Amino acid sequence: MKGVRKLFPEEFCRRYEQFIPDFDLFLEAMLTPLPKVFRINTLKAEPEEVMPLLAELDPEPLSYLRFAYTVKNGRGLGRQLAHFLGLIYIQEAASMIPPVVLDPQPGDKVLDLAAAPGSKTTQMAALMRNRGLIIANDLSLERLRGLIGNVDRMGCLNVVVCRADGIVLGRKLAASCDRVLVDAPCSSEGTIRKTEEALRRWSVRGIANFSRVQKGLICAGYQALRPGGQMVYSTCTIAPEENEAVVAYLLKRFPEAEILPVELDNFVMRPALTEWEGDTFPSAIRRCRRILPQDNNTEAFFVALIRKPDDVTS
Amino acid sequence: MSPVEFLRNRFGLPEEWLQGLETITEQATVFIGTPEVIRFNAVKPLRRGLRLCRIFPHSIKPTTFAMQLLGREATANQIEVDEQQAKQLINGGTVEIAADVENGFVLISWRSFIIGVGIYKRPVLKSCIPRFRPVD
Ligand SMILES: C[S@@+](CC[C@H](N)C(=O)[O-])C[C@H]1O[C@@H](n2cnc3c(N)ncnc32)[C@H](O)[C@@H]1O
Repeated sequence: MKGVRKLFPEEFCRRYEQFIPDFDLFLEAMLTPLPKVFRINTLKAEPEEVMPLLAELDPEPLSYLRFAYTVKNGRGLGRQLAHFLGLIYIQEAASMIPPVVLDPQPGDKVLDLAAAPGSKTTQMAALMRNRGLIIANDLSLERLRGLIGNVDRMGCLNVVVCRADGIVLGRKLAASCDRVLVDAPCSSEGTIRKTEEALRRWSVRGIANFSRVQKGLICAGYQALRPGGQMVYSTCTIAPEENEAVVAYLLKRFPEAEILPVELDNFVMRPALTEWEGDTFPSAIRRCRRILPQDNNTEAFFVALIRKPDDVTS
Repeated sequence: MSPVEFLRNRFGLPEEWLQGLETITEQATVFIGTPEVIRFNAVKPLRRGLRLCRIFPHSIKPTTFAMQLLGREATANQIEVDEQQAKQLINGGTVEIAADVENGFVLISWRSFIIGVGIYKRPVLKSCIPRFRPVD
């Protein structure tokens, strides 16, 4: 076990051992390659049409996500005709959770504030059965090219693609959106299982920089919500400065914002923290959820579901 | 004849094809999306919905991605291929095939799916499908 710790920065272990249960299991899970997961693109085909095309890979359904499957040997997945035809989308399982929690409905107006490369945009388009409007925004033109490619391949008719600073766009769309997804840029600690690059780039200073941007984005996302609208704030990172502290900042700026419980059948999630290194967070923040890699064999994620009350005027 | 009518006639698509959707033409490209997508004007977007087709002086070229989604009810000018031919075509190749269709743009189908658009000049079917870039 000691050996595993050596592979992580000392400061990383010091910080997270404080609140992650079964810490050694956690570290081991972080070093284990992720299973390959895909979802069927229900905009283009029914599962009964798609599954025979993938029979040789022997896909197993995930019990907690409709239309999502895992394959033992995923190497061939991206070479399948089904992938080329946009009948499937390869997406890490935890990354499919925020759209499911947001639950956008056909006909909704949805703002996806940091959308590229569009995994969650295209998933939401499917949940909305290609109806209504998704404003898929990102700051990076290069990443938006990938998003447009995915929107094309998946056949999304309900997506407009924008390039703006999310902080500016959220304010421009003030009080107009039924749902908002803020899948924030983050230090990506949760993706260490996918790429060791995240581990090499890790630093506490990096976390502080992301936290600043995230606070701007969560407030802009909240401003874009119509009264009664709901927002999901998510990251694929562990640092409380990028998760609980960001939600706490929103509550300080907009004390009326409601934090709703997040639940999913057959999927283990842990309550968020109420304090971190001397800071205490409002108790409602416990309703946010942490997804840990050892619990469901996924990446780490953080998910908060936030509602703007009906009687807020702006 | 509008580009949508042209495509409907060429591929024998039903009267109610694209019902509930709207189009907008920008720089000789017709985009298709939900009414909310086409009318969105809060900011200038980089892209609205899908590219349906491109208008050339003497022809209208449907796009592979739009027809994969919206062309499954086609009854005319469609060529069915087998898996081997499908793979050749998505890698930018051509196949020789005797098909009972008009020369010009055709839809290429494999099993129950439209895999994309091709140009047929008897007996050669040339792919217009964007190249397959496998991912791992
Ligand atoms: C975690 S990724 C989003 C992943 C995406 N939601 C998906 O599921 O495919 C975060 C994104 O935020 C974008 N970003 C960073 N700063 C931004 C800002 N100020 N406004 C909008 N997007 C921003 C990055 O370019 C990056 O694509």
